Amino acid sequence: MALVHKLLNGTYILSKCLKPSVASCPFLSTRFADYCSSSLQKPVATPGKASAQRNSAGGLQGDHQREVALDVTSPEEKPEVSFDKAIRDEIKEHFWRLKDEIVNHWIGPEGRPLQEVIMEQARVVWQFRGKEDLDKWIVTSDKTIGGRSEVFLKMGKNNQSALLYGTLSSAAPQDGENSQSGYCAMISRVPRGAFDRKKSYDWSQFNTLYLRVRGDGRPWMVNIREDTDFIQKSNQMYSYFMFTRGGPYWQEVKIPFSKFFFSNQGRIRDAQFQLLLDKISSIGFTLADKVDGPFFLEIDFIGVFADPAHTEEFAYENSPVLNPRLFK
Amino acid sequence: MRQPRLREVKAVSSGHAAGGQLGRNSNPRLPASPSDPRILAASLRAAVGTPRAGFGFPGGCPGSRGLSWAHAIMLARGLSRGWRGICAAALTGAPFSQVPSQAPRGLHCSVAAPSSGSSLVPRPPEPPRQLAKPPAPHEELFRLAPGGARDRASFVQAVQNFGQHNVHKRGHVDFIYLALRKMRDYGVERDLAVYNLLLDVFPKEVFLPRNVFQKIFIHYPRQQECGLAVLEQMESHGVMPNKETEFLLLQIFGRKSYPMLKFVRMKLWFTRFKNVNPFPVPRDLPTDPVDLATLGLRRIEPDLSAKVTIYQMASSRDSTGTADPTEQHIVGIQSPGQQAALARHSPARPVFVEGPFSLWLRDKCVYYHILRADLEPPEEREVEEIPEEWNLYYPMQLDLKYGRSAWDDYEFDIDEVEEGPVFAICMAGAHDQATLAKWIQGLQETNPALAQIPVIFRLTASTGELLASSSGLEEPCPPPAQEEEEEEDKTQRQQQGQS
Repeated sequence: MALVHKLLNGTYILSKCLKPSVASCPFLSTRFADYCSSSLQKPVATPGKASAQRNSAGGLQGDHQREVALDVTSPEEKPEVSFDKAIRDEIKEHFWRLKDEIVNHWIGPEGRPLQEVIMEQARVVWQFRGKEDLDKWIVTSDKTIGGRSEVFLKMGKNNQSALLYGTLSSAAPQDGENSQSGYCAMISRVPRGAFDRKKSYDWSQFNTLYLRVRGDGRPWMVNIREDTDFIQKSNQMYSYFMFTRGGPYWQEVKIPFSKFFFSNQGRIRDAQFQLLLDKISSIGFTLADKVDGPFFLEIDFIGVFADPAHTEEFAYENSPVLNPRLFK
Repeated sequence: MRQPRLREVKAVSSGHAAGGQLGRNSNPRLPASPSDPRILAASLRAAVGTPRAGFGFPGGCPGSRGLSWAHAIMLARGLSRGWRGICAAALTGAPFSQVPSQAPRGLHCSVAAPSSGSSLVPRPPEPPRQLAKPPAPHEELFRLAPGGARDRASFVQAVQNFGQHNVHKRGHVDFIYLALRKMRDYGVERDLAVYNLLLDVFPKEVFLPRNVFQKIFIHYPRQQECGLAVLEQMESHGVMPNKETEFLLLQIFGRKSYPMLKFVRMKLWFTRFKNVNPFPVPRDLPTDPVDLATLGLRRIEPDLSAKVTIYQMASSRDSTGTADPTEQHIVGIQSPGQQAALARHSPARPVFVEGPFSLWLRDKCVYYHILRADLEPPEEREVEEIPEEWNLYYPMQLDLKYGRSAWDDYEFDIDEVEEGPVFAICMAGAHDQATLAKWIQGLQETNPALAQIPVIFRLTASTGELLASSSGLEEPCPPPAQEEEEEEDKTQRQQQGQS
């Protein structure tokens, strides 16, 4: 079954690679989020859904939806020459993961005792203490559409933080289709279980996102994607701004989940609904503030916690002018 | 199939001889219908002669036997692309490009071929764009008068000139697109009055839908796209439209149009996100570098009781007007807590001057240096003992547990990054050791302990040069790397810090 799944997966990716420019207009084409995590292929080149996010108030542009992982963190690993051995290793690893999952199910959610999970009020979701923590992230830039921004991710000082740095260039690619460009993004990979099943995060008991970052004064955008089983959902995300202060001190950014606004295919929607936290797929940071030049962002860790003082459920009302159907 | 560029399409439609050349070069791989397409301009017909069989002119006029399937497909694609462009552009933030919007012009003009990407015949490399670009229509209105400068007045004059020579405002869509492109050169991209003036160029009440069929379909789609482009540029520069804009849009497009919808959305989302930045940067940054440095330092130092000291002003220009002043400005900031910490710092351990680090204030980048010490190893950390005072009447120190009860734990299960204390921050015009040495000397006046503490300069980037040491200063051992300036400076610090 694993082989069948892998075959299907493999051909799926192949068919996508064969038609690089799926449609002239990106709005009607469907984009699939598929991160291949198998050891056979390098985790690269899957058309995904990193859309360019402009940080101007209320404005999002969404025509750049192809994503290529420009993962420059791990050096080139020579693939195994023996194909059969690689397949066998893969099968063993997946069965090992399956066994872990079954065993963990008896212990509690995600392998931790139920009492601990229920009483938890602050959880560290992503930390950057080693190279393997960087492998959970993909960095992209507008090079995928022909722009000239560069972005790199590496471990920071003393292996205590991750450093996302690069150069932003808003020179539009001269392909007649995009009139604006200039974005860089860092997106987390979708967590995978046994046989590459997609798993999701469950943050329903928390209500605030906590980030410890050190930036250079540039405004970033935090995007959260929900479980992307449906095609339409793979273009939807919830976003909010993260303003860095700059300076040598660490900055704590706390964003309640009620502040995230909904957008589809990179555009803010009129009908807003709150972010539901039970099936979170990935989180991402985007820089697209139309200012050319070098940038950096140092991240210590990313966590979620339950702020008892925050009682707001959702920050944005729906307006009857824009959405008369919701108010009938 | 070759996709003719917009200008080539225009050249064809206006009947230049060059257009004939392009028409002939178009790829004849399209399966030819028996009805050969008629060629538009008479000059083209003359140039080409009898239409050849298999001449696949992309999207020419339909022949006598009706629309061939190829043309139908191309027209459908073009129109649907235009439709998609409208629908997509109608929502907030519409980054449609201008090429597809102007391409489908109806059945009687050449339609740009669908951008399928690959051309079947390899083309020679095209000449560089600057040479081959024909002037855009109405460009002559923006030509500067001799001795004139590109400022708001000349822009307004050019916009007003358009209406004067052209009562029927022919080509107003092209003119508005051109004006939008030129706004940045004239420095008026954040001027609401200029945007309203540009919207005023549209003829009023012509584009209002009058019956139900016009209301169903997008009435005057190109003009609506143009209105959307104006609003979109306003949005991207953060200009809030006002009542005059609303009235103009009502007059031009009507209440149910896409520009009006975008206006409503802008009003809603702009007001929601107006104060979303917890560290706002003023829109008009000071041009004086000392003021800019002060603003930046106040921003990065959260302690409000910190004092900004200007150690050196940039020297004024000589009478001969030399370009680079010999002295750069040096502005520093230090809070009382940092002063006390520096006074307590033991002279056995050095302090480091690190930098330069970049700080962005909107679109200006300034660089700062910090004076910091390394983290003390745990065994050397002193616990401050406050001398105990006791009083008969009431306790001076209460050891109450203010924390929450046992089941409330809001701490994250991770060790935070610990770094050494920062003693002072400065921003200087130059990033070399001489300038920073002056800063250290200035700091020594308020921190006499600094004279005994060895100072090591860990400057990165190519400008960090090492000079000979003076009393109390030591040279750093590792040389700065030869990295590009885009590389993060902290990586150097990491490499040097771990040595």
